[in-house]
Amino acid sequence: MNLRLPAEGDFTSRLRSPAVAARIGIWLGICFAICFLTGLVSHYAQAPSQPVPFPTSPSWGYRVTQGLHVTAGVAAVPLLLVKLWTVYPRLFTRPPLGDVRRLALVAAERASIAVLVAAAIFQLFTGLMNSTQWYPWSFSFRSTHYGVAWLAIGALVVHIAVKLPVIRDALGGDVDETTHDRPEATEESVLSRRGLLRTTWLASAVAVLTTAGATVPLLRRVSVFGVTTGDGPGGVPINRTAAEAGIAVERTQETFLLTVVHGGTEMTFSREDLEALPQHTEVLPIACVEGWSASGTWTGVRLRDLLDLVEAPPGRDVGISSLQTQYAFGTSTLWDNFADDPRTLLALDLDGEPLALDHGYPCRIIAPNRPGVRQTKWVERIEVL
Amino acid sequence: MRVALGIVGLAAMAYGGLLLFRRLSVDLLDSAVWLGGGVVAHDFVLAPVVIVLAVLVIPRLPDVARAPVTVGAIVLGSVTLIAVPVLGRFGASPGNPTLLDRDYVTGWLVLAALTVAAVAVAIVVRRSRRPVAKHHADTP
Repeated sequence: MNLRLPAEGDFTSRLRSPAVAARIGIWLGICFAICFLTGLVSHYAQAPSQPVPFPTSPSWGYRVTQGLHVTAGVAAVPLLLVKLWTVYPRLFTRPPLGDVRRLALVAAERASIAVLVAAAIFQLFTGLMNSTQWYPWSFSFRSTHYGVAWLAIGALVVHIAVKLPVIRDALGGDVDETTHDRPEATEESVLSRRGLLRTTWLASAVAVLTTAGATVPLLRRVSVFGVTTGDGPGGVPINRTAAEAGIAVERTQETFLLTVVHGGTEMTFSREDLEALPQHTEVLPIACVEGWSASGTWTGVRLRDLLDLVEAPPGRDVGISSLQTQYAFGTSTLWDNFADDPRTLLALDLDGEPLALDHGYPCRIIAPNRPGVRQTKWVERIEVL
Repeated sequence: MRVALGIVGLAAMAYGGLLLFRRLSVDLLDSAVWLGGGVVAHDFVLAPVVIVLAVLVIPRLPDVARAPVTVGAIVLGSVTLIAVPVLGRFGASPGNPTLLDRDYVTGWLVLAALTVAAVAVAIVVRRSRRPVAKHHADTP
């Protein structure tokens, strides 16, 4: 058997055509654009400072953008795999060694493709793994996924710029046209070009249907690969349990006191004191940064009512601290528009029952349109900043 | 237009590079391994395996089965790859029964069975049409 590196001409299937690649590329580009934009929204929602305040309405906004982010990423996996299959022969193109100027151009284009492919695979697979809370790496997921997102979208735009004439031509013509095909790519395959495209759309659709139930309640039954069934105490799943967060259970019991501070004014409340204050009920989602989400019916004290008790004027940011000792999200800041929004609660109950310990008993923050990771649980201190 | 696009793209890439470069001391090696690893895993493992499998399996199938089996393999294969993190439940936390709370292996078996059934139906349908429209059905 004579083993050698394959050459571009060894790949003869007529499916490996720019006419096919461009059609899949359009949808792949749309998925990447959705992922990039919704990713920017999520990154901004968690930014330590926000020149333009993140809006509190619609309350389900972050649920939708983050659900779209993960769903578009899942849909992109079959698209990327088939797209890479159609252009795989290009990997074996021999460089034009004689011509220095052309060689430099080809090398630059190949380098941008290498960045694009590396960044695209990295984003889809680390994102997918993050959605299941699987972190077999040492880098910070959020900052690396964010940095590589800019690499990916930049390399994608460069790729579109380079290929624009071919893309235009390919999309303007019939899918079976051969104008831009390699001369060897003439062999009939078991599928037609249309057949391959339909198969790719089908694979993407199946991928979405089998996963999106973690954020779309209607799909729960068919989403056999959803990261959660949506079950949990009060009908809401838990991302981080009290044990994982390092909560000392005894500090959540009878001795628990919440401190609310505004300048020199300081008040403390037991859970009973909080229950004695006017109660309000709001239907608000927990929308996890990992992509799953669930709606809950929360009852508790309006945060604004508590702030009024310590005579805090409207328009002030509020710092929230938790009993949490593990993980980075033991404190969070509620921007003034969130602190003043009448829907923002210091929740005591979920679905008519006292909060489960894992949902943040004795009390937690629940605010509209906010990443779940910032809906601080086991709140012990509220400080007007 | 193309030049402008190219410049915008390069600027975005440069910004991404800068963001990653800032974290150089902390994360560089591991993120480089994961960035390069994905390409190596695709280009030199997954893609060749798929090509070799296709070359080995498809010609041995009866004519009517080739297209349905290919469609089924593309759908089930790519969706299975997506399901690897949940099938392995690598991120599961023993104290939290509310996440990764499905029986994913059974789910996969159901999906695989549905795929096989759909492929079988397609083969039967193609075979029954064969005598009538032989030349159309057999040249995909």
